[in-house]
Amino acid sequence: MNPEALSKVKARALAGAELSLAARLGYVGLLLVSAALTTVVVALWFTEPSLPSRTQIAFGAMSVIGVSWMVLAAWALKVRRPLFARDRVIAGGMAVTFSGVFVVGCVAAAIVAGGAAAYGALATSVVMLLAAIGALAGARRRFAELVARRQVLETKA
Amino acid sequence: MLAKGTHLTGTSLFLCRREPFSRRHDSLFVSTPILNDDSRADELLAIRCQLGERAAFADLIDRWHEPLWRYLRRLADSNQTADDLVQDTWVRVLRGIAGLRDATRLRPWLFGIARRNAMDRLRAQYTRPTDGDAALENLAAPEVDASLEADLAALESGLETLPARERETLALFYLRELSIDQIATLLEVPPGTIKSRLFRARQLLRDQLATKGAST
Repeated sequence: MNPEALSKVKARALAGAELSLAARLGYVGLLLVSAALTTVVVALWFTEPSLPSRTQIAFGAMSVIGVSWMVLAAWALKVRRPLFARDRVIAGGMAVTFSGVFVVGCVAAAIVAGGAAAYGALATSVVMLLAAIGALAGARRRFAELVARRQVLETKA
Repeated sequence: MLAKGTHLTGTSLFLCRREPFSRRHDSLFVSTPILNDDSRADELLAIRCQLGERAAFADLIDRWHEPLWRYLRRLADSNQTADDLVQDTWVRVLRGIAGLRDATRLRPWLFGIARRNAMDRLRAQYTRPTDGDAALENLAAPEVDASLEADLAALESGLETLPARERETLALFYLRELSIDQIATLLEVPPGTIKSRLFRARQLLRDQLATKGAST
């Protein structure tokens, strides 16, 4: 096998590893879960009155950890595992579903337990849901544009 | 100045753009016409990749791996280095193609990544501060095949003896079918510089071939 052909075989193997859909959606899941958990922790931290200092430190540490996971996931999705148009539609669907469930959970917590923490988390979850709906709409629009252009090109071909 | 499609020497060699996906050796100039279908095929391929069709990436590699490898081989000093560079290039391409705004620019975009990748490697390899063109000069010592028997071999050998900047410009223009403006963007120099490099490259190549012809 000549050097070019051997190199191509390696490139195809490399692409197989680079294009793992599971890895991409895994980062989407990590982003969503870390965002939700961080929201809950921050809501509790800022709304619970007279927390002991040890608890405040613990909440602070948990918030930093949550934000770090969010940053890691966002960085990976931007640099290491960018989402393609079809992946974005899937990720948008995941985000809407997850945020919807999170909103329902926060509504339940607000009804059952009440309190500022539940309402704070509910407000944040609604913002997350709206952002997810916006992201899904944008992903679908972009996907439709690309599909339309592909059809035009395939027709010409 | 030689125009595209004119004879370089009295031989049967032509200096015209080649069909880019020919299976023939990269260094051969083949007088086939430019096909608009290629541009359309490139755009379609880019869009399929942006959509996330996994099969499209295999097609992209099938279509462009060898031209990229050969292009990088001209910038590198060994097959192994070219291999490393092309693998790095593919990683960048796979990670970046979702953000390619204009799918019609797939070809210059690919070669731009390959070139930047090669420049990055060279800067790391040569610790002294240098710009891309100067670094290129240090690469790939000219080799002359003493046993030239065929015109194509003479042409290839002549190409190898060109200075790196002229060789690269000539390869991008004729072998890769990039326009002068595209090459200027890729190499970050004015279009006029590209024209002068092409002019100089053609003259050097012609002189090389004439010298070879006289000596044999």
